[in-house]
Amino acid sequence: MAAVAIEVFLSNFCENCANARVLVEKEIARLGNARFDVCYIDVLEQIDHAVALGVLATPAIAINGKLVFTGLPTSAALQTVLAEYVAAGDE
Amino acid sequence: MSTYRIGEVVKKVNLSADTLRYYEKIGLLPPVARNTAGVRIYDDQDLSRLGFIRRAQAMNFSLAEIGQLLEMRASPQNARNEVRELTHQKLLEVEKNLGELGTLRNELQLLINLCQGTQDGCPILEGIGKKVQP
Repeated sequence: MAAVAIEVFLSNFCENCANARVLVEKEIARLGNARFDVCYIDVLEQIDHAVALGVLATPAIAINGKLVFTGLPTSAALQTVLAEYVAAGDE
Repeated sequence: MSTYRIGEVVKKVNLSADTLRYYEKIGLLPPVARNTAGVRIYDDQDLSRLGFIRRAQAMNFSLAEIGQLLEMRASPQNARNEVRELTHQKLLEVEKNLGELGTLRNELQLLINLCQGTQDGCPILEGIGKKVQP
C-alpha cells in the first residue's frame, strides 16, 4: 500500500489557506494518517514546482503529482477524492 | 486589395520609413510598386510580409534567416532543402519559446492572484526576489 502523496500549496496572503490546512488534516485523520504523505508548501518557496503543476492560486491541492483542487474544496469533495486515491492504492 | 503610402505603413507595422526602404534594398521586400510620381505604394501582401518579419525579429532571427524563411513562405513546395531544414529548426525554437512563455505567464498569473488575496501589500516583489536567488 503506497502512501498517497498530498501537496497543499498555501500562502500567507489568502484567507482560505488556513482553512485548507485544517480541512486536509481533518480528512486524512478520518481516513488514516498513515495512508498519506502530506506536505504543506509555501507557494513562494517552491514557485517553479507549483507552476509546473498548474497552480495559479492558493490554496491548491495536488495529489500524487497532479493538481486536483484550486481553491478550498468542500469537505465532502475532498473526502471523496481522497477515498478514491486510497482505494486505488489498495488495489 | 488596399494600398498604402509609406507613412501609413510606418504606423501600421511600427517600423521606420528608413527600415522599410532598407528591407526593400536588401530584398526582404520585393520591389515596392510606385505611382506615377514615383511614390512607393505598398499593398496588403507587403504588410503581411512585414508582419512576418517583425514577428521573426521578435524571436531574434537574423535578417538572413528571415530572408530564407520568406522564401519558404512564398513558395513552400519549391523551397530548397536547406530552407526547409531552417524552417523546421525555427519551428522548434518557437515551440520552445512558447513553452517558456506559457510558464512565465502562469507564474505571473499566480503572483497576481496572490496579490489579490492580500490587503497588506503585494507578494510579487517577494516572489521575484526569491526567483533570482541562486
